[in-house]
Amino acid sequence: MFIFTKMTQIPVKINNKNPRLASYILSQYGGPDGELGASLRYLSQRFAQTEKSGIALLTDIGTEELGHLEMIGSIVTQLTKGEGAKSFDRYGVGDYYIDHANGVYPASAAGVPFSAAYLQSKADPIADIMEDMAAEQKARATYDNILRMCDDPDVTNIIRYLREREVVHFQRFGELLDMLQSKIK
Amino acid sequence: MENNRQMSAQQLMQKVSEAAFYVTDLKLYLDTHPDDARALRMFGEASRNAKACFEAFEKRFYPLFATSADCDSDWEWLVGTWPSQKMA
Ligand SMILES: [Fe+2]
Repeated sequence: MFIFTKMTQIPVKINNKNPRLASYILSQYGGPDGELGASLRYLSQRFAQTEKSGIALLTDIGTEELGHLEMIGSIVTQLTKGEGAKSFDRYGVGDYYIDHANGVYPASAAGVPFSAAYLQSKADPIADIMEDMAAEQKARATYDNILRMCDDPDVTNIIRYLREREVVHFQRFGELLDMLQSKIK
Repeated sequence: MENNRQMSAQQLMQKVSEAAFYVTDLKLYLDTHPDDARALRMFGEASRNAKACFEAFEKRFYPLFATSADCDSDWEWLVGTWPSQKMA
């Protein structure tokens, strides 16, 4: 089960407004390589893991990704807080405003709604962990793209931190893969 | 946590999040290195420190866990900065 804690992994405090940047960052909420897909992927795959280490790692990383989902939602909210229709339009994201206004909706930067087709669950520990390692690299690459687009230091600090976590997750999944493969041999 | 009396909510939250992060990161490491004696010792210390930080924060500011919310006269759980909000 999950117990909610009234805090984020690092504090989210964004001082400037920027609806366009918010719409880019939203991709890590509900986009193809975002935190919603990551958490659902790991929390679903764990049911088929056989080794305790695998069950634990997928549970713990899946839980951390849920926390990251919340952080992304918080960044998007703070970047658009109080901004109205005209501001969204000036920033080039009037189309987002029409459908969601200042709401946080799980979609990609291009506006494609979240889909479970972004992830798999194969009941094959090796196939699943290999997918997870690729997913961590794709998430890391998306954070790199956001960093290239972002010139707000409050946002950059948090995005760098989240990017670093994907690198750590990749490392841990790699260790798990080695463990699983040595059990097979 | 001796000098937390002078800290603002924001400063103490920084300590809480650092302490909680250390636990999270060690936990992932131990999932794939369950026999690492040094990491096990570090986890014990990290875990005790995180608990002390949570307690210090909740005592001075507001509940982080619903189980810590005061319910004598009003619903204290509503108090504090929620993850969608910016800490003042
Ligand atoms: Fe990750």
